[in-house]
Amino acid sequence: MAEEETAAMASGKVPKKLIQNGIRNDGRTPADLRNLKITVGVLKKASGSALIEWGKNRILAGVYGPREVFPKHQMNPNKAIINCRYAMVPFSSLEEHGRFGPNRRAIEIGKVGKHVFENAILTEQFPKTMIDINIDVLQSDGGTRVAGIVAASLALVDAGIPMRDIPSGVSVGKVDGTLVADLDKTEDNLGQSDMPVIFSPRTWDILLFQMDGMLTKKEIMDGIDLCKVATQKVHEVQVAALEAKYGAAAAGDDDSQEESGA
Amino acid sequence: MEKQLILPGALAATSPRRMDGCYVDDGKTFVSVVSLKAGDKIIPLKGHYIPRIGDYIIGIISEERFSGYEVDINAPFPSSISARDIRETFQVGDVVSAKVRMVDEVHTAQLVEPRKLYAGRLIEIESVKVPRIIGRNGSMLALIKEYTGSDIFVGKNGRIYTKNGDIALSVMALLKISSEAHTSGLTDRIKELLEVESKKSPQNNAAKPAVQERPTEQY
Repeated sequence: MAEEETAAMASGKVPKKLIQNGIRNDGRTPADLRNLKITVGVLKKASGSALIEWGKNRILAGVYGPREVFPKHQMNPNKAIINCRYAMVPFSSLEEHGRFGPNRRAIEIGKVGKHVFENAILTEQFPKTMIDINIDVLQSDGGTRVAGIVAASLALVDAGIPMRDIPSGVSVGKVDGTLVADLDKTEDNLGQSDMPVIFSPRTWDILLFQMDGMLTKKEIMDGIDLCKVATQKVHEVQVAALEAKYGAAAAGDDDSQEESGA
Repeated sequence: MEKQLILPGALAATSPRRMDGCYVDDGKTFVSVVSLKAGDKIIPLKGHYIPRIGDYIIGIISEERFSGYEVDINAPFPSSISARDIRETFQVGDVVSAKVRMVDEVHTAQLVEPRKLYAGRLIEIESVKVPRIIGRNGSMLALIKEYTGSDIFVGKNGRIYTKNGDIALSVMALLKISSEAHTSGLTDRIKELLEVESKKSPQNNAAKPAVQERPTEQY
């Protein structure tokens, strides 16, 4: 961390203060999000997929299944099992991330992602099956775990997997003593704290909550409020992305279809 | 009727109701898959085939066992034909139509009345679009059959077998319905397509049915 900081400072890319006059390094106010764009259905062979472009982040999420469980001993006769794999491709970032193969951090993010989706998917509808969720970070600039989960949520909806809600979220944190939403890489590395949160926006249940660094109890509560407002914006983008793909179906009234036997 | 796109987590009804693609929470019904809402009705746009007793489906024999056959029915669950129920034999890769006799609590299906399908073309669409293929009182299917002279068997699981007549045109029409399902004026557009295309190639395929050893899925 200290090395990174000095290296970043020396390269002249980072100003000494990350927030000046209430404006952040990249020109945002504390509550602003980076540019966010999501495209649904980008992979042809996957059951469902989504590409998220969030600031400089580029993350591809693909969902496969429900399908036969392999290895078989993991099979659950009561519900579907969820496999969530998070990976940074080798060219995704500076040298400290994205070396080939899973590392401690990637395994952790896969695990927390799995718990998010276990609570969002109606797994009991697909006993003895598994659902594979792949999150691949192509280019990273901080906040990739929330971005990956936001993308994977849409990939799951695209795959037609029944879900209670569309999980959505954003990271908040403390930079130069100020609470900010959607930290980028410099703010994450040089700030005091980073707190990724994923909500189920219908009920505002928290599906993921992690924290790096220190925050007081009050800062956490304020951070969550800030996060809810920001999550609302993310959720709107998610809804818009799905409407872009599926909206045509609702375009007009059609010759309505009544079921009759085959 | 006015239709509206609704997404997972959206309210479907203020009372607990059992509907396809919905779940109940706190006494209310919510949507769980991308759907269209038309009045009280929820039409799922996505979904997986879940076998139900009495469904006619099209399966592909995937494995032979002493006790019968394992069948791929385009569902996330396994299904089988018992050797006790049948006299004929099948080979792996054979396409059969069958009826679902029994489904257990983990959605494993037992199939009966298998009939081997041959000399036709198999296509696969999403099972939620099957009602659209059939149309109200079978109107859409009747329309295609009328123009192409094909025999079309539609399985509830989203597999469609087309035989005789102008197979290529039938498949073209079926895939068009699948890709444009739930858009307005679809029947008219399909009719137009059939009219234009059938004039281009009068009776071309009627005399020579395409014989295929093993049906391939073509999109």
